[in-house]
Amino acid sequence: MKILRQTWAVVRKDLLLEWRGRSRILSVLLFGVVTLLLFSFAVGPDSVMLRTAAGGFLVLALLLSSTLSLSESFRVEQELRAIEGLLLLPVDPVALYYGKCLSNTFFLMLLAPVLTPVTLILYSVELDFAGFLTLFGLWTLAAAGLSAPGTLYAAMTSRLQSQDVLLPLLLFPLVIPVLMGSVKSVTLLLTGDPMSQIQSWTLLLASFAIIYWSLCGLLFPHAIEEGS
Amino acid sequence: MTSAEQTTIAVRSVGLGKRFGRQWALAHCDLQVDAGQAVLLAGANGSGKTTLLRLIAGLYKPTQGQLTIFGNDPNRERMTCRQTLTLVGHDHYLYSQLTALETVQVWARLSGCEHSDDQLLDLLEEVDLRHWRNKRVGGFSAGMKKRLTLLRTRLEEPRLILLDEPFSALDTDGQKLIEDWVQRFKSAGKTLVVASHNLPRAARLCERAVFLKEGQIIWQGKATDMIQQLRLTS
Repeated sequence: MKILRQTWAVVRKDLLLEWRGRSRILSVLLFGVVTLLLFSFAVGPDSVMLRTAAGGFLVLALLLSSTLSLSESFRVEQELRAIEGLLLLPVDPVALYYGKCLSNTFFLMLLAPVLTPVTLILYSVELDFAGFLTLFGLWTLAAAGLSAPGTLYAAMTSRLQSQDVLLPLLLFPLVIPVLMGSVKSVTLLLTGDPMSQIQSWTLLLASFAIIYWSLCGLLFPHAIEEGS
Repeated sequence: MTSAEQTTIAVRSVGLGKRFGRQWALAHCDLQVDAGQAVLLAGANGSGKTTLLRLIAGLYKPTQGQLTIFGNDPNRERMTCRQTLTLVGHDHYLYSQLTALETVQVWARLSGCEHSDDQLLDLLEEVDLRHWRNKRVGGFSAGMKKRLTLLRTRLEEPRLILLDEPFSALDTDGQKLIEDWVQRFKSAGKTLVVASHNLPRAARLCERAVFLKEGQIIWQGKATDMIQQLRLTS
């Protein structure tokens, strides 16, 4: 129970900090929209091609935006060395990890209500209400799958000056299974799934999200303290 | 580790050392601080005072030697050690976007303290920050940040308090506040390790002193004796 209370306390703190620094989430949202715009310009006016690539571009926009969001979440901790203050408290580092992971997942989920309509408009895709709900579920799984290793790596690189370069370099290769699972399942959702493959891709996505959440939770205490 | 050691010896280090790259910040440090004692760490900038405090606090892992806090190894029994100590250091460990009240609320929740908001406001009153409770700490002066950080020693109720340059950035009232608090901690039987350049003031609060030079302990004894020797040599 204590660990749950501490996790919730970290989530509350992060939500409050994010609310106070709203400009950060706005810039991440804007970055995602601009990414989608650029991808659509790169493909050109071919509506069939746009529709086929929509799922992949939507997930790539999430991935690229996530690196900004994740590195920001630990930049706040490094300012005035607040992270050391947390480590000096009798707080279980696992609670610290899952608290930050949950809040990072939540922030990435906030991108969905903005990026999804932009994608539908730019890429000429139609989606019914049930499709929206399914897409939000897939988005949540993708956000969770990216947040778990992203939070770990953001913590590891937060003290380094080259964090902005290192974080994507470390994160992108690791999240390839999440990327594949989410691109395939979102594309199948947006373009049609005549062979009912979406379930197996979703299962792959969910499996990797669970693996990352378990494994990174075990590694985080070492990552956060060894750096000293 | 004996149960007597757990209760009577707050800090014990044997051959303790910390190296950053090729540079030894602290080397061959043998130190014992008895429970309830107040010890002053003195020495020039870069002598290893802050490194020693951060090793004791568990923020650094020793490169060599052994360290125990009330008989516990800070690397193996991390949580037990963290429940017993607090470090108030150079850095303030604050979030500039949070208000003073929100900051202590976050600390209280994470420490598992059952303080009500009224109790937290009373604590803010003690450090003259009640009127500033709804102001963001990013706009606070260094002295106000230090006073706010000092509240951690009251929230967590630790047995061992580590103070790194407690008088820096504080005005006369702020320094008096620290003195009063240290006296109160001593009366409550808490152990204190204070690193300071303000030797006359710090020596009044501590019975023992340890002098460090270039990462090594070169003198240990009564704090008053150290002040006397420094006067003679200067």
